[in-house]
Amino acid sequence: LLFLFLSSSLHAQKKVTGTVTNAKDKQPVAFATVTVKGTNVATVTTTTGSFAITVPASKTKLVISSVGFDDVEVDVASQTDVAVSLKEKSSSLDEIVVTGYTAQKKKEITGSVSVVNVKDLRQTPVGTGEEALQGRASGVTVISSGQPGAASDIRIRGITGFGNNSPLVVIDGVRGSLHDINVADIESVQVLKDAAAAIYGVAGSNGVIIITTKKGKTGKAKVSYDGYYGVTTRGPGYDMASTQQQADAIWQQQRNSGIANPSSKQYGNGASPVIPDYITPTAGFEGDPNTDISTYNRTSNQITKANKIGTNWYDVITRNAQQQNHNISISSGSDKSSYFFSMGYLDQQGIAQFQGLKRYSVRANTQFNINDKIRVGENAYIFYKTNPIFGNQSEGSPFTTAFREDAIIPVYDIAGNFAGTKSQDLGNARNPYADIYRTKDNKQNNWDITGNVFGEVDFLKHFTARTTFGGTIDNNYSYNFNYVGYENAEGNSGANSFSEGAGYSTNWTYTNTVAYTNSFGKHNVKALVGTEAVYSYYRFLGGTRSNYFSENPNFWQLNTGSPTGQSNSGSAGQSSLWSQFARLEYGFSGKYLINASLRRDAASVFAEDVRTGYFPAVSGAWRISQENFMKDVSFINDLKLRYSWGKLGSTSNVNPTNPFNLYGQRAGRSFYDLTGSSNNPSSGFFRSNIGNPTTTWEGDIISNIGFDATLLKNKLDVTIDYYKKKVSGLLFTASGTQYDLIFTGDASLPKVNIGDMQNTGIDASVTYHGTIGKDVKFDVTGLFTSYNNKIVNIPGLPYFNGPQIRNVIVTRNEEGHPVGAFYGYEVIGIFQNAEDVAKSPTQQGDESPGVFKYKDQNADGVIDDKDRTYIGNPNPDFTYGLNLSFSYKSFDFSGFFFGSHGNDIFNQTKYFTDFPDFFKGGIRREVAVNSWTPDNTNTSIPKLRTTGGFSTDGVTNSYFISKGSYLRCKQMQIGYTMPAKSTAKFGIDRLRVYIQGANLFTITKYDGLDPELQSSDINNTVGFGIDQGNYPHTAAFLIGVNLNF
Amino acid sequence: TEDGVQGLLIGAYSLVDGAGAAGDGFASGASNWIFGGVTSDDAYKGSDPSDVADAAPMEQWTTLTPTNGAIPQKWILCYAGIQRSNDVLNTLAIAEGITPEKATEIQAQARFLRAFYHFEAKKIFGNILPVDETVNPQNTVTSNADQTAVWNLIIGDLTFAKDNLPESFGSEVGRANKWAAVCLLAKAYMFQGQPSSALPLLNDAINNGKTAGGVKYALNDNYYSNFNPAQKNSAESVFAAQTSVQDGSSVDWGGDPNGNYGDILNFPYTGGPGACCGFYNPSQDLANAYKTDANGLPLLDNFYTGLWVSNPAGSPYTGTLDPRIDWVMGREGIPYLDWGNHPGAAWIRNPVNDGLFSPKKNVYAASQKGQYTDVGSAYWGPTELVANNVNIIRFSDVILWRAECEYSSDLTAAMNDVNRVRNRVADHPETWVKSGSDYNAATATYGSAGEDADNYAIKPYTSATFTSANALKAIQMERRLELAMEGQRFFDLVRWGIAATTINAYIGREKAARPLKASANFTAGKNEYMPIPQGTVDNLNADGTTRVTQNPGY
Repeated sequence: LLFLFLSSSLHAQKKVTGTVTNAKDKQPVAFATVTVKGTNVATVTTTTGSFAITVPASKTKLVISSVGFDDVEVDVASQTDVAVSLKEKSSSLDEIVVTGYTAQKKKEITGSVSVVNVKDLRQTPVGTGEEALQGRASGVTVISSGQPGAASDIRIRGITGFGNNSPLVVIDGVRGSLHDINVADIESVQVLKDAAAAIYGVAGSNGVIIITTKKGKTGKAKVSYDGYYGVTTRGPGYDMASTQQQADAIWQQQRNSGIANPSSKQYGNGASPVIPDYITPTAGFEGDPNTDISTYNRTSNQITKANKIGTNWYDVITRNAQQQNHNISISSGSDKSSYFFSMGYLDQQGIAQFQGLKRYSVRANTQFNINDKIRVGENAYIFYKTNPIFGNQSEGSPFTTAFREDAIIPVYDIAGNFAGTKSQDLGNARNPYADIYRTKDNKQNNWDITGNVFGEVDFLKHFTARTTFGGTIDNNYSYNFNYVGYENAEGNSGANSFSEGAGYSTNWTYTNTVAYTNSFGKHNVKALVGTEAVYSYYRFLGGTRSNYFSENPNFWQLNTGSPTGQSNSGSAGQSSLWSQFARLEYGFSGKYLINASLRRDAASVFAEDVRTGYFPAVSGAWRISQENFMKDVSFINDLKLRYSWGKLGSTSNVNPTNPFNLYGQRAGRSFYDLTGSSNNPSSGFFRSNIGNPTTTWEGDIISNIGFDATLLKNKLDVTIDYYKKKVSGLLFTASGTQYDLIFTGDASLPKVNIGDMQNTGIDASVTYHGTIGKDVKFDVTGLFTSYNNKIVNIPGLPYFNGPQIRNVIVTRNEEGHPVGAFYGYEVIGIFQNAEDVAKSPTQQGDESPGVFKYKDQNADGVIDDKDRTYIGNPNPDFTYGLNLSFSYKSFDFSGFFFGSHGNDIFNQTKYFTDFPDFFKGGIRREVAVNSWTPDNTNTSIPKLRTTGGFSTDGVTNSYFISKGSYLRCKQMQIGYTMPAKSTAKFGIDRLRVYIQGANLFTITKYDGLDPELQSSDINNTVGFGIDQGNYPHTAAFLIGVNLNF
Repeated sequence: TEDGVQGLLIGAYSLVDGAGAAGDGFASGASNWIFGGVTSDDAYKGSDPSDVADAAPMEQWTTLTPTNGAIPQKWILCYAGIQRSNDVLNTLAIAEGITPEKATEIQAQARFLRAFYHFEAKKIFGNILPVDETVNPQNTVTSNADQTAVWNLIIGDLTFAKDNLPESFGSEVGRANKWAAVCLLAKAYMFQGQPSSALPLLNDAINNGKTAGGVKYALNDNYYSNFNPAQKNSAESVFAAQTSVQDGSSVDWGGDPNGNYGDILNFPYTGGPGACCGFYNPSQDLANAYKTDANGLPLLDNFYTGLWVSNPAGSPYTGTLDPRIDWVMGREGIPYLDWGNHPGAAWIRNPVNDGLFSPKKNVYAASQKGQYTDVGSAYWGPTELVANNVNIIRFSDVILWRAECEYSSDLTAAMNDVNRVRNRVADHPETWVKSGSDYNAATATYGSAGEDADNYAIKPYTSATFTSANALKAIQMERRLELAMEGQRFFDLVRWGIAATTINAYIGREKAARPLKASANFTAGKNEYMPIPQGTVDNLNADGTTRVTQNPGY
């Protein structure tokens, strides 16, 4: 059969020559591709625009194409020397967009698909693919932390579930991750936001991001180098009280609490605090015999001087961090094969000391045309990275301890050892620099191979069969050493320990499709059927030993530690998906377009009876501008109305064991020391899991109406979509009467289909391409994303709470309210005097001048649980991106802004910085100098107290809520491209140099460090918009080079 | 199979230590330090007021609400334990190849444990739901409206256990034997106010009882042997939570250990054993209660007047003290096992609220570190996770119950029981805390070269000092002194009907000095029991049927 497809080319041939010029300025066009139509015979033009090509005798047409120009077809049946002039492309409508399992011209798309401008994408100097995507596609919100290599929240059209809201990412047809992709290798990014994603069925609910990587293009070998080097600044940090202000605040705190003669172990007990010379010995002064260095003992007399000015801990743990990125790529192609090869090196230091991301990557994409009907190829990406990451948005992170450690504590004691809260009465924070220093030799490494192989055969004139097999093998490896401190109030007495772990995860996708493409008369038909199998598996093992005699990193091996008390752990899991799908595209006369698709998925995480789901979608578009009655409307170049409807699904975070009742055994859960041995418990079982065999997909019905318009002589592109996404059968942990503890014990409860949610919103993108005079060209693109989230129904329960953070529960999820809303008491002021207190409702006995006055929501004269209300919403009204670019002769400028509007932030860090009763330690300067006193009443900060309570920090209240809107300049750059004439003699086609600034400024009213807040758990929708001490984004300055030859 | 059912039974035992159920925490600890200790006049919560802020309402009361985050921890642990016991019974019913004798023995243990967990919940929450093995989501008739059903279930289970458990389990000293069931059944009758039902059981246990290891019940010569991990499961141990360390469970973040996790915070701050956290500080009131008079007897009525024991303000009490004080608490200048002398305020996290003293019954000696403590990578935790048993019932406890049952009918018998407990200490001055000699952690004694660390005096009551007028008070005081810091005090106060008066008097004496207690007040008729967790009320009533009624006043 194969022979049928093999063609031979033993016919006579002829040689054709020609020149290619730009129609506008008559200049030659170099590197334009000249292809013999219907074959893979091709060549490229020289720098003078000339070409020569051998045309098989049976062929008569050449196609000349070049980036930025419309294709031109030339008949060479009767000529051997042709002059071709190319018109600059005026519209992106013919751009090819890769959608689910196929590609379409942009003008033929019927769904809501954002196409990312890849050139812009590359401009932001970031380490991960997610961060690069921020603000680049309407409907897509990406929020990351400032930590190099940290994961980001990606939300397409907002939050639509209580579990995992991350979209599916498909790279060259294989399910993968944006995280570690080398952004320089990306050829195109498109985002399927509506029913267009339904072809991905159960994986499509959160949207689909489709990425293709670069392929070799026909022509001579092209080499390009792109690199930049720069410095990320440490940023402004926290504004914390000085030592004196802190001491005064402690006195104030005690006076406010009715202690007439304040005292402190460090500051004495006089009318005002006395700052000592030493904090160990406690409240020590020069001349005290115990301050003599000969008496120094790290355990019993760790002599430590007071920092009388105050240590700026933020500055201590941060640095101006270098970053550099280098990419070299080589690509070429011919009618027989093409290749793209690249190497990347990224070194992005974090502003936190000792933290950063280094990644080495190689990509090799090749394709072979065995003949003009059979193509095979592969895409391969290999990277190795080292990326020690610490927990962000958590209480132990250095960015949290940096505001908790008291200002009077120096970094080191007099002997050069770390100083800390072991000096008395200074709280329990940890020396943040010591913490971070002790992580410097820890390792967190990955190596990863991602790729696929594919084959494609054209047969029976209109059919193409394609098979592709690809996947990922990711190996992760880490170790860390836990030092025992000596300098802190806590944690000085354990044994050191060393933990080492390694794991791998693999997944593969095997896809087979057959496509049919035909045009007859005014009918265009494309049909596709396919099958897909997806499998993933992971395995991890780790061990810990303790009591290492040497803490030297060279001795860090498991077997050099003590076997006493050693522990190990391991885990594994697998899941799979088996699917069939079909898709039909029909176009009539280029005006009326209809697409339909259907997918059938069977997922292993559900029980057999309920495993299979069907996901249909239909969409249609009407290109109004092609109608005769529109021909005269000159300002409209193209106008397309679209409507789509589709059903999608999600397996959210469902565990493969979800359907099953399970018993388990685990030492801490079910072992018991029956013999009193103290270290050898008998092993037992416990009911570990309640299964639910009826749990099935979370289903989305998404409908979308929108239009694409090209206006004003192709200068203005506008796309606006309105959508409604109804999620039913939300997957969430079972609750309600029958799942109560008294029936289920402490077994884990299954995920069940519970509740409904709805999002509505508008996405828009507007681009204007303009020129001023002859030399100035500019592009302005605005992107707009909004969603309005509402929990429609939670059966069985009126609401459920978010997690407890330290002492309070901050969020509540309730019907009729958005997910993750902040819930608590509304502060309406501060009690100013006894009279004010007397005439106001009672507040659980904790009412006095200087504390918060809460709103009596139900007006019953008593402030209690029933007066709590919704005090904030972490969901933004909209997010937006604004991209500007100008060019003037050889100079170019671009700027990119990203903003979020209308969201609230719960600033949890204030529990520590504003309420010294909560935990002793650092205090915000504003709090130290401007808290309420009878003489300072014009303030929103309540009085300092020694014991918090209901009317200050004892409950969730609106004091902690802040407006979270911001507008951030993500990048600006100015570039200069050397004149081609001067570089050509060195064989250089293009040389551009640029200077760039990133995160240059932020406009916000948020009073915390950074309003751009990654959620604390990106795999769950619990607690977002809560600032628990975030690794901030800070300004960076870079210089870079782009070189092509 | 039998192996599987035995495994489930061990799983049911494994929650006796107060840890291991999803949702547990410090408040579910076997020692009941929060629900039986901080709630009473024994101890302060400790640490800074906002640290484990959910336990602060247990000394303030006015701020205690059904949404408090500490109460579900204990509730969850108890019902998880009940369901694990039910899992044993339900699985036993379908298991094959088990002899009838073995099946009965397994059943009896499971029913003992089910009663134990119900009883724990009952003491704390008052109006609880009885949950036997027939309760399932399809049979949701259970409710907390009828507490008779709860007592019937507890009494029925314990009676079955008493009648069917063996006297000894050989080396498996952690299992509940016949005598543990007898004593727990007696305790259940005590809590129901039925001393006449308890007395014969107590007589039997005191005369014939044996530990699960087959040793006849007796008081240890050395009071502190009951708290020394090296001497656990002694002749005095009737039923105890068994704990273990370095056993593959872990205190590392996210782990759930088999050591005494409930008391992991309850160590001196920044010094001594452990690396943290300064909770559960014995109260000044408790210290003052150890004053003794010229007869070597406690001051039953006015121990809190006069000078304070260890008063830091300059004029401390200098009279005689019951020597048990220095095994109950760490006091400034007194040896803290072998950790050197307690330095006073340097080991107290927040002296204004936490007072002067550190807990002592749950700690370990320096020489025991590494042997009875955990290892791991957590910042703090491994050195506060200890394999010391938590006494749930010990023999002196049993003897003092009998004194309560006897005093109204046989004053001498009651006095003899009280004196038996006192004489264990009075007759063994060599076991008192000594200054100037080394501590031997194997025996919990100081070397003979040492001298008494303070001015100790303890003597038995005589017929002149133990009268029908003061007998009940003397017995109650003896329970306080003997069982201090063991999580029993609050439940005793409630059982005796004197919780409100005792606690409000205590708050009144303390509040001037302790900001955390400034607006504290115990409401009689309400605060005797914790509120039922709001989540439970919402959940169980969610389908429209009222299964749970909140406790009065909440």
